[in-house]
Amino acid sequence: MEQVFLKYIDDPNQHKIDTYIEHGGYQAIQKVFKEYQPTEVIDTVKASGVRGRGGAGFPAGLKWSFVPQNTGKPIYLACNGDESEPGTCKDRVIMENNPHLIIEGIMICCYAINAHHAFIYIRGEFAHPAARVEAAINEAYAKGYLGKNIFGTGFDLDIIVHTGGGAYICGEETSLLSSIEGSRGNARIRPPFPAVEGLYKCPTVINNVETLSSLPSIFNNGVEWYRSHGTEKSPGTKIFSLSGNVNKPGNYEVDLGTPLSYVINDLGGGIQNGHKLKAIIPGGSSTPLLMPDQIDTPLDYEAVAEAGSMLGSGAIIVIDERSCMVWVLMKLINFYAHESCGRCTPCREGTAWLKQLINRIENGDGQPGDIELILDVCDNIMGRTICPLGDAAVMPVRSFIQHFRDEFEYHIEHKKCKVETDYPFV
Amino acid sequence: MQGRNGLPVCVKNMSDNGKEKEQVTLTIDGKEISVDKGTTVLDAATLMGIHIPTFCWHPKLDSIGACRMCLVDVEKFPKPAVACATEAMPGMIVRTDTDEIVKARRGVLEFMLLNHPLDCPTCDKGGECDLQDNVFHYGIDKSRQAFTRRRVIDDQTTDAFDDKRIGPEIIRNMNRCVTCYKCIRFNKEIAGEYDLGAYERGNHTVIDAAPGEQIDNFYSGNVVEICPVGALTNTDWRYKIRNWKAKQTLSLCSHDADGQNIMLWHDQRQLWRATSRRNDDIDDGWICNIARYGYQYINSPDRLKTPLIKKEGKQVPASWDEAISLISKRFKEIKDSKGSVCLAGLIGGNQSVETAYLFNKFFRNKLHTNNLDYRLEYIDLKGSDETEAYNCLYRAPFTIADLEQADVVFVFGSNFIKDHPAINLRLRKAYRKFGTKVYTANPVETKSADISLDEMIYSPDTETAFIAGLIHAIIDNKYYKNIDETKAAEVKTMLAPATLDEAARLCGIEQERIVNLAKVLSEANNPYILAGDYFVASAKRHRTANGMYDLANLLGIKDSNAIILASQANSMGADRVGVRPRLTENLKKTLIDKWGEELPESPGSNTSQILNNSLDEEIDGLFILGANPAMRYPDGPFVNSALDKLDFLVVADLFETATSAKADVVLPLAGWAEQSGAYVNVEGRYQKFEKAQDADKGIKSGIEIIHSIARAMDLSLNLDNAALMHETKDIVDAFEREARDEAKFFEVKQAQIPEHDNYPYRLLVGNDIHHFGYVTEHCPSLMRFTPEPYLEISPNLAEKLGIDEETLVRIESTTGKLVLKARFSEYFEGDVLFIPNNFSATEVTGLVSREGGGWVKIEKLDDK
Repeated sequence: MEQVFLKYIDDPNQHKIDTYIEHGGYQAIQKVFKEYQPTEVIDTVKASGVRGRGGAGFPAGLKWSFVPQNTGKPIYLACNGDESEPGTCKDRVIMENNPHLIIEGIMICCYAINAHHAFIYIRGEFAHPAARVEAAINEAYAKGYLGKNIFGTGFDLDIIVHTGGGAYICGEETSLLSSIEGSRGNARIRPPFPAVEGLYKCPTVINNVETLSSLPSIFNNGVEWYRSHGTEKSPGTKIFSLSGNVNKPGNYEVDLGTPLSYVINDLGGGIQNGHKLKAIIPGGSSTPLLMPDQIDTPLDYEAVAEAGSMLGSGAIIVIDERSCMVWVLMKLINFYAHESCGRCTPCREGTAWLKQLINRIENGDGQPGDIELILDVCDNIMGRTICPLGDAAVMPVRSFIQHFRDEFEYHIEHKKCKVETDYPFV
Repeated sequence: MQGRNGLPVCVKNMSDNGKEKEQVTLTIDGKEISVDKGTTVLDAATLMGIHIPTFCWHPKLDSIGACRMCLVDVEKFPKPAVACATEAMPGMIVRTDTDEIVKARRGVLEFMLLNHPLDCPTCDKGGECDLQDNVFHYGIDKSRQAFTRRRVIDDQTTDAFDDKRIGPEIIRNMNRCVTCYKCIRFNKEIAGEYDLGAYERGNHTVIDAAPGEQIDNFYSGNVVEICPVGALTNTDWRYKIRNWKAKQTLSLCSHDADGQNIMLWHDQRQLWRATSRRNDDIDDGWICNIARYGYQYINSPDRLKTPLIKKEGKQVPASWDEAISLISKRFKEIKDSKGSVCLAGLIGGNQSVETAYLFNKFFRNKLHTNNLDYRLEYIDLKGSDETEAYNCLYRAPFTIADLEQADVVFVFGSNFIKDHPAINLRLRKAYRKFGTKVYTANPVETKSADISLDEMIYSPDTETAFIAGLIHAIIDNKYYKNIDETKAAEVKTMLAPATLDEAARLCGIEQERIVNLAKVLSEANNPYILAGDYFVASAKRHRTANGMYDLANLLGIKDSNAIILASQANSMGADRVGVRPRLTENLKKTLIDKWGEELPESPGSNTSQILNNSLDEEIDGLFILGANPAMRYPDGPFVNSALDKLDFLVVADLFETATSAKADVVLPLAGWAEQSGAYVNVEGRYQKFEKAQDADKGIKSGIEIIHSIARAMDLSLNLDNAALMHETKDIVDAFEREARDEAKFFEVKQAQIPEHDNYPYRLLVGNDIHHFGYVTEHCPSLMRFTPEPYLEISPNLAEKLGIDEETLVRIESTTGKLVLKARFSEYFEGDVLFIPNNFSATEVTGLVSREGGGWVKIEKLDDK
């Protein structure tokens, strides 16, 4: 299968500018500068159908076209590298291994939307990837690819690396903007949408690392080539971060629409020790479960949605028969309660309450009625919060209870796991 | 239109003021309404009388949609929307009462109560708590909480209720907090303060002072008032009285000139607190700490409660009858033996306009003297009145709210936050919301200049040179409007220093910055020049005022947009009713019409002339009503000897003061809250305040005192209170001012700056940020902010002189000396010192000369 992001994953020098150029890097941007007007760039990206790889899958070209060009204010690009969704490590591999691909993507986007300042917001824990990106940016400046008058076109661009302070919420786009501005990472209400009033109250585009990294390939190979990968509505390739009870966990880049079973069984080498598959989290920890009978679901936005879940960030977590689902859910809800920013009431108080309730079931203190209470609390959080974190916390809770209610009831009644296992973590 | 809590609904977008707004029609709960485009669903619903509950919403703060209480159902929206931040759109169909919405709101309340201590019986907010009200309304009768409730305690929470003091006045109880962020948002958005913040995350979020800091900013009281629950309370009010047992009375801040609207809470015993009473024309519902805590002097146990009469050099208690008949006898004697010109009256700038008017009528119409004044704070002019230019600018028809339409505001000689708390906030709002550009020029760095694009610091006493420089810059660069080149050349000859270069050098500011300011002002569509207390307190203010007049004319600045701001609650009122020796022709006519008698012909003396004349034994009898020149007027030794020289001095005041100590008769005076009346604020706006409580039996109001003296002298003023109020209002309304003459230009000549070889440092004297005048010493809350006088010094200068913080420093001028603790300034950088003149124990005016302000030398006191 043809790859975009991980093509040169085995070249230890791919992060260096000379190697990147040797492999055809910085061709796309020169082509763009030479042959395209900014609006044509947007049109091309629209035509390519590339969708946001951060999780929501919003068409990138359409997002760019919302940016008003006549406000007299500067326009900013924020590249979201705050990859924190449990199970997800796809942006990390690009930042570490192929940082110039991001820079080239940022250049294309900035040219299209007429931005002269771009920020790369990198998760605080990603010290090594941040250092790699920083070094790559310095290389690009030294070559004259960044700064004033790039390639003699008169176009100026500065890229600033901003590392986070360890908050999951800063991966949410409005919190990310608050954080760059130096404020506490709190979500903001929309509207106004960032495209109109974002960073420093100026029009701002926020794109994921993987989204921006897709761009050079579109301009190098053409829209048709790009659309030849993936499906009609979900074109292109995507990195899936495969983890959990599989033999070969890792980042795999495949065409969108590839069956889930191909990734788990053919690329991931199947379930550990031949155990029985129990459930799959297909798109990062917040997405609802897929069951074993759904293993042939094609990995594209539409098909996964139709199967009752979301493609999300593409983090596939495989759970086999040895795991107690109450324990797994406890791990997840503990994460979300810890990461709630505290801005809005339902998420702030609700996730903490869910954490208490699910922990007490896991600890053998569950009471009759707890499951109903948990579901009711979920109702009071779902769709009631400023940002998607509340929903993200609730979706796995609902899904786990929907599919494995018996395990929860067993836990409450017998004060222990239904699953008898020697699995070391449970 | 009245909205929730009786407050006017804020639906107008001020940025487009004057233009007809586009209308939007939407349906809420089945009823249609048309509103201005930009109105939120919440405001639209409020207009229709539909109540949508909120916690984090505030009409004057940006909506953040955090509490999720105002969720409403909007047709075609995928999920409920927050009414506080959803803009009304044409054809929108909103429901506020669906089962889903009610469930959502009950859910929010349940979440809020989850870890709430439910300590209503011991909570001070009970009865005025949004959480109580909303839970009451939505009827959450059972708790599903099965876990131990979260308590937020740290090593500084000592109280049984987990209270923690986070400021001189403010106490935080995090257990009750619903995390609406209103306090932090107020601080950041409105006051521009960063001493309060949110720490930790999720449901561990705590609202706390920034590390190592406390919430002591000048507007900090507002965070208590806008707290929807009992999380933030203040020592002023908490645990003293239940709010429903206190009566509320409409009142005004009795200190500065902005006229902030307040509500006094009281019972028959005393005043208990002051809260804001939103007036969008003035204060937007935010009041400064002086307006909030500055009522407390009324409650002071140190109040004078019986008249004192000096017998054998000692003041001893006496009856009112005795005191009044003595006054009447002595005034009569002086009048009969030496003539009316030997009597004089001085009245404080925070007496009601009615008192001021009656004072005027008594002196002019009954005692037949023009010797009276209300300007007791600043160095006076040699002539009997301010100059034409000064008066014209002082009485300019300025409107606070119009500042929002300003594109450039030049603040000249003012620490705005201190001098004009409400105007300061309005300016910050203009800056934040409407992009108004602010420029400042001051003798020192000031706190409120943080929004200034160029904070210019001129050398002491060079205000005139600065403004002359600005005029040079305008003429040299042809920035002027409405005049031709010949006239411009002529104006240029009226300036000293004679060139921009010289002027810039003299005031120590680079030419380019002065030229830039001139350019910015000339290019602005609606520029303002606002002059404050540093300007007013400067000895040569009339020269600078000439410059400001010329400047406004050269740039074609609107008459309302160039103003010298008055400083006390009723300064403008006293001015309008004529408490000054020289009156405008218009006012003379009004008074003659009213009184049916000619006015006395003697020229009349102003404050400094009255004091001088007393030294020369030309004034024998003086009546000082609610003022303390011995403490506040420059050159203390001079004032003291002038007062000593008087044959007969009557002082009416709330407290024994340095001035009353000199008096032959001291009369206990009622405070503003003990009478009804009105103040005329800096804009010339007449605002009434109501009587909150009766004064002690032994205390009389200024009006009663004047009437009693008049009666005892057989000079009936024949005005009952209603008639007085009416007559005063007529006089205030009859005020007319000649507009600034755009063709007129005055000389602008910098005065010789005297040498101060042995006294190298400029001393500024004025109000501490948390004090005003001489009564705030009697306000315990304000004393918690600034408990004692100090010498404010820049860290640079302190280092140069080897002075540490908190060490004693001797300050010496030609007229006096003083020892004070040094305090490092957060703002000062140069060789300028500041001492507050709000503390009776510090005779700071002894250091200040009447001619040229304060010049001092300082030295560290040896540690012995």
